[in-house]
Amino acid sequence: MIASRLGRSLVRIGAMAAKETLHVRRDPRTLALALAMPVAMLFLFGYGVSTDVDHAPLAVSDLDASDASRALVRAIAGSGEFDVVARRAPGELEPLFRQGSAVAALVVRHGFGDELRRGRQAEVQLVVDGADALVANQVLAKLDAIVRAESRRLAGPGPDRAGPPIEVRLWTRYNPDGKSAYYMVPGISAFLLAITAVMLTALAIAGEWERGSMEQLFASPVGRLEIVLGKLLPYLVLGLLELELVLAVGAVAFDVPVLGSGLLVFALGFLFLLGMLGQGLLISVLARNQLVATQAGALSAMLPAIILSGMIVPVENMPPPLRLLSRLIPSRYLVHGLRGLLLKGNGLAVLWPDLLAEALFALVVIGLATARFERRIA
Amino acid sequence: MAGAAGERAVEAHGLVRRFGPVTALAGLTFGVGAGELYGLVGPDGAGKTTAIRALAGLIDLDAGAARILGLDPARDGRVRERLGLMPQQYSLYRDLTVGENLRFFGRLSVLPRAVFRERSERLLAITRLAPFVDRRADQLSGGMYKKLALACALLHQPEVLLLDEPTNGVDPVSRRELWELLHEFVAAGMAVVLSTPYMDEAERCHRVGLAHRGRLLLEGPPAALLADFERAGHPAPTFEALFVAAIEGAAP
Repeated sequence: MIASRLGRSLVRIGAMAAKETLHVRRDPRTLALALAMPVAMLFLFGYGVSTDVDHAPLAVSDLDASDASRALVRAIAGSGEFDVVARRAPGELEPLFRQGSAVAALVVRHGFGDELRRGRQAEVQLVVDGADALVANQVLAKLDAIVRAESRRLAGPGPDRAGPPIEVRLWTRYNPDGKSAYYMVPGISAFLLAITAVMLTALAIAGEWERGSMEQLFASPVGRLEIVLGKLLPYLVLGLLELELVLAVGAVAFDVPVLGSGLLVFALGFLFLLGMLGQGLLISVLARNQLVATQAGALSAMLPAIILSGMIVPVENMPPPLRLLSRLIPSRYLVHGLRGLLLKGNGLAVLWPDLLAEALFALVVIGLATARFERRIA
Repeated sequence: MAGAAGERAVEAHGLVRRFGPVTALAGLTFGVGAGELYGLVGPDGAGKTTAIRALAGLIDLDAGAARILGLDPARDGRVRERLGLMPQQYSLYRDLTVGENLRFFGRLSVLPRAVFRERSERLLAITRLAPFVDRRADQLSGGMYKKLALACALLHQPEVLLLDEPTNGVDPVSRRELWELLHEFVAAGMAVVLSTPYMDEAERCHRVGLAHRGRLLLEGPPAALLADFERAGHPAPTFEALFVAAIEGAAP
């Protein structure tokens, strides 16, 4: 006999979870949504939406035409990052940008070589097409780095250079190659987990309404929290599998390292999933039908995960109201936490605010879902 | 007509429920005792489903009170341990097998394994579903599905059973079987409320209430209702004729 209230409750939660697992096993679409889609999306984003700039078309205006300036252009062309597509006078660069046949131009002024020989500061001008800010930033950074390195080499050990010049460039610190995959994979993981987790539970409760089984459930001794928790469990397991899968693909296909503790990755993913699954439940409880739940679920998961999580736009660059709003978005904490864990090997000492924020969100949405889950048919 | 609270297993007292401009229940009142089979008979739109849901505590009432075994079904969770419901619509899991559906509802009632095995075997035997235990619910015929729903509602041996149009869409043979099953459980002391749009099923109940527009027009044992109707000058009376007469205000 199972006497205690908790014991009986656990049996019912287990029954709900086992039943939900059967639904998932019988419906391959759910498994595809949870496991195949994220991997496909990861490849799509990782390769297709790569913001890495290789062989960027570069126009050159070499007004100096000295050995030094030619060496500089050779260094740039030889780096593999740029292809010199045109040589024009500075006034003729504009059409190239307009046509999109060059994304950047290097203008070397008269006297560049002389200045260098004399050990003085030489100047080159970089003109970048700012229409695509992401590309522009990378082009600027890479060209800047190549030009500086080259100018140092050409100048040689000058009288005012006792030691090697120290360049502090933060953006290269944890991602020396500037690979966008390193930056993107944690962000995409958050995005994919968010959308699939919300969708899974959004469909799960709305499905009970549409099947008509909610009436039978409500007339049975199962409690609302028991229904909610029983529904959460199988999808939590599925979501964690998904996280592992996405990180594994990230590591194998995109060489994204996992420097931090696996346990912390698990904890960060676990709390995040709890919140996203809870958000799906809340939507499902309010929507009561799968079509509305699907759309509300997709929008409420996708938009914040893309716009406010820091996946693409760094949180630091957001206008203050959005930055404030992003504090309510669990994806932000997962993206931040994952980047720290994967790329920097951060520990709990740095990570705990992210974990706490995720836990709070999960608590609030699951509480809300249970409270708004009325045991009424009409 | 309604007895004192606690005397009857099922009490509906002045139930009122409106859905926007539609009044589904307009002061419905009746009571059912243990070991009694009560038929709520009426056309579509009479408020039968709303009445059953109100008794199961699944809807809020605008007025009136529903009591199951003296408890408020909408507020007191203990009711659900002693109440069985078989909704009109498909309410089981169609992608689960007969056995999986039974096991799920058995576990929601936290039946010990041995008890579950004994009861489910018995229910499968009397519903003759035993050979189909591994068949998915969506591959059952209408009658088999209803019998499975009944079995799921009976697993925890409720004292009160509510059935919403259980014979709707069921072939005559299965229909007869369902009735025989119900009589068996009622004989064992269960209180059963059943709704049906079929007038010919009224005489299978101990008492019937003729529902129309959310309230009862007539109530009583079927034989007595017919006898009154005959005395009022309708030779060879039928329930259909009685019901039509009741709606037109010509019944006794």
